[in-house]
Amino acid sequence: MNDREVVIRVSGAAGDGVQSAGQIIAKSFSRKGMNVVTYNYYQDIVRGGTSWYQIRASSDPVRSQGDGLDIVIALNKDGVQRHTNPDIDEGGASPLSKEGIVIFDKSIQGYEEHGQRYVPMPLSDIAMKYSNNALMRNTVAIGAAMASINLDFETLAGVIGDQFGSKGKIADLNVNAAKEGYDYFKKNQEPLKKNLSFGTKPKYLVGGGDAIGLGFVSGGMKFYAGYPMTPASSALMYFANHASKFDIVLKIPEDEISAINMAIGANYAGVRSATGSSGGGFSLMVEAVGLAGMLEVPLVIYEAQRPGPSTGLPTKTEQGDLNLVLGAGQGDFPRIVLAPRNVKECFELGREAMNLAARYQTPVFVMVDLYLSEHYETVDSFDLDFKIDEGKIAGDNQENFRRYEDTEDGISPRAFPGQPGLMHNEDSDEHNEFGQVVSDAVTDPRERVKAMNKRMRKMETYRKNMPPTYTYKFSDAEYAVVQWGSTAGVVEEAVDILRNKGIRVGAIEVTHVFPLNHDIGDLVRGKKKIIVVENNYGGQFDRLLRSELLVRTEPVRKYDGESFYPGQLAEEIEVVIRGGK
Amino acid sequence: MMESPKQIVKQTDYQGEVKADWCPGCGNFAQLTAVKMALADLGIEPHNVVVVSGIGCSSNFPEFIRAYGFHGLHGRSLPVASAIKWVNPKLTVLAYGGDGDGFFEGTQHFYHTAKRNVDITYMVSDNQIFGLTTGQASPTSELGMVTKTTPEGNIEPPVNPLLLALSAGATFVARAFSGDPKHIADITKKAIEHRGFSFIDVFSPCVTFNKLNTYDYFRKRVYKYEPEDPEDFAVAYKRASEWGDRIPIGIFYQKSEPTYADRDPVLSKVNLRESPYYKLKEQDLEEFL
Repeated sequence: MNDREVVIRVSGAAGDGVQSAGQIIAKSFSRKGMNVVTYNYYQDIVRGGTSWYQIRASSDPVRSQGDGLDIVIALNKDGVQRHTNPDIDEGGASPLSKEGIVIFDKSIQGYEEHGQRYVPMPLSDIAMKYSNNALMRNTVAIGAAMASINLDFETLAGVIGDQFGSKGKIADLNVNAAKEGYDYFKKNQEPLKKNLSFGTKPKYLVGGGDAIGLGFVSGGMKFYAGYPMTPASSALMYFANHASKFDIVLKIPEDEISAINMAIGANYAGVRSATGSSGGGFSLMVEAVGLAGMLEVPLVIYEAQRPGPSTGLPTKTEQGDLNLVLGAGQGDFPRIVLAPRNVKECFELGREAMNLAARYQTPVFVMVDLYLSEHYETVDSFDLDFKIDEGKIAGDNQENFRRYEDTEDGISPRAFPGQPGLMHNEDSDEHNEFGQVVSDAVTDPRERVKAMNKRMRKMETYRKNMPPTYTYKFSDAEYAVVQWGSTAGVVEEAVDILRNKGIRVGAIEVTHVFPLNHDIGDLVRGKKKIIVVENNYGGQFDRLLRSELLVRTEPVRKYDGESFYPGQLAEEIEVVIRGGK
Repeated sequence: MMESPKQIVKQTDYQGEVKADWCPGCGNFAQLTAVKMALADLGIEPHNVVVVSGIGCSSNFPEFIRAYGFHGLHGRSLPVASAIKWVNPKLTVLAYGGDGDGFFEGTQHFYHTAKRNVDITYMVSDNQIFGLTTGQASPTSELGMVTKTTPEGNIEPPVNPLLLALSAGATFVARAFSGDPKHIADITKKAIEHRGFSFIDVFSPCVTFNKLNTYDYFRKRVYKYEPEDPEDFAVAYKRASEWGDRIPIGIFYQKSEPTYADRDPVLSKVNLRESPYYKLKEQDLEEFL
């Protein structure tokens, strides 16, 4: 047990208020200046089932939801049994540690004990004092959990007050219920042996979807068209709740095909716009990705992955859409794929995507997964200064305006409806520099080749301007672990675990997934093993890496719907290092 | 205050660089002429016009007119056109396509764009056949019609586009015929001036692949119709259902309703094309504390 951090899991059925309880706990820690990562384990169900919400809070930086569970708040019997029993497999999530406590209602009986501290409490009895049903028992339990780690009650009361802020009296009732739980624990139980230190400045607690929203707005986005689909909807909700404030427009149209065509239309007319979905919805958008590539209309596509095939596991995580994104659209056209590693990077790469799309006039993907889009992390600060790059835009009134001028960098000047003297046609058929179709009467092979080369040249220009690839503890590494996107945090923690065991391993963290930066080839040269960690079955990124670099790699993959956990991942990497499975 | 004089715009100002390459006698020529005539008569300058199309013979239209053109995907002209109009309401936005493009592949967009009352004009060149793919049955092909894909006769009843538009909530519903370009131009002018979604279905004979619905076929049947009360939905629905020996053309229905942008809290007050970028402030992050 790490005494500088605490890991709490709230468990119950959908409808028990698991998520809101988890968010209250998370915010109590972020307000105390602690570093927080949350993890939302839920099912495709509105009422019932098993769901839990994990909060890891530390005095030191945290990069994953963590191992070594300290406190379980179990709102039903299933929770008591599930999270204390080491034999239950939850996809790598560790059960309650030996020194941990499980808080539950005293009416729950007949569970099997596994040696941890079981704390039955009158949760429902206290809740019923403040409400005509027992729903408030989660608030009582939060009070008890916070007492067990000696967090001051005022902080918790403040968060509860804000959570129920608009409901005045309800806020007071919840604060009082939490206080009773808090006092009950203090009076009857010993606190956990923790040595948490709190900061002085509150931190921002931000969800991945919120950060995408913030990033897109910061990057100049004014129009977003999307159709609701988990886990892309967290960003959609951010736009819904901020449209009037920022003077931006959110459109939920009849389908994803309409959404992407609307985003293309708005961009064509000179307004920065984006669309987004998960794999299923994005599959419907595929044809229009090529349209943006052909017309050279900037387009940012937010792709939030969940496990497929088909409907798959709607509330679980996976990195299984890379092949889909790389292959979306017939023919060859330039595309850029970015994959943020964490919440803060959702913001940074989100707005960078807006500029890249405008600069290169082509589809730019921002790929996350459910793990990243639906979890919360603390962020110390956001750099709000950002220079919007409009890319090449033509001045009014030009003789023989060439919208698709064959330039050295492949980038041609854009012109927007309303600009005098630049009327032209943007065509999904192959076209010449003026936008005139080259395939109707007699197909002109020279014009075709010229147009293809011009468009694809933009990728060469982009490659020259790509940032170097990130590494972690890499300078003396004998073994290279390569990852992309949201697994960076857990990979770094696994690297730390392995280094503590004396294994010299380091990580390569790929945020700019396509085109792949060939500096990775230099980084992996001479390493004893190249281990590619990926949250999918087929090794989609691994294949890209091998085909681009012609190197031999070793896979570590997970496709059970859950994210990696640091302890489990370190073990699997070690197995590969020691000679394979 | 005096109204500002209309810009003098000539039909030739809309003359595209590329010559239309439809089959000689194709109904689309009449529509191209009519659209240019209407835009010039209304004094709208070419740089303020966007013509958006899908895929099909008729969808090559944007290349043949001197304006801003967008030749996109089969069936998808309406979402593109909607967004263009929303983000820059100063523009005159026309969507144009065929019956396959509008009533097969893009039906959902047609229905919902009409329902939203987006302030654009949608003209369909309705030739009851697939032309560009050389003669297969389309959504408006008549029952029993022999085509390449229906050698024993078409077994699907045709769509009535006017009824579809009316039931979706379109606020301007009209029908015209390529045999009378002046009549198309008159209707198009009113359609463009109409605030809201205006729909014009144009009988446009395909001289190459449709030997049934020819100029003669329509000349014998069509007659000009003008409703006493253009806001009477029941009458419009009844007259739009007329089919057979006598087929009415004209404006069946027109009603003033708030547009989609009128109802949107942001679009109703902001021209996104001209508005400044929103600059995030520290206060915008306070909700996360």
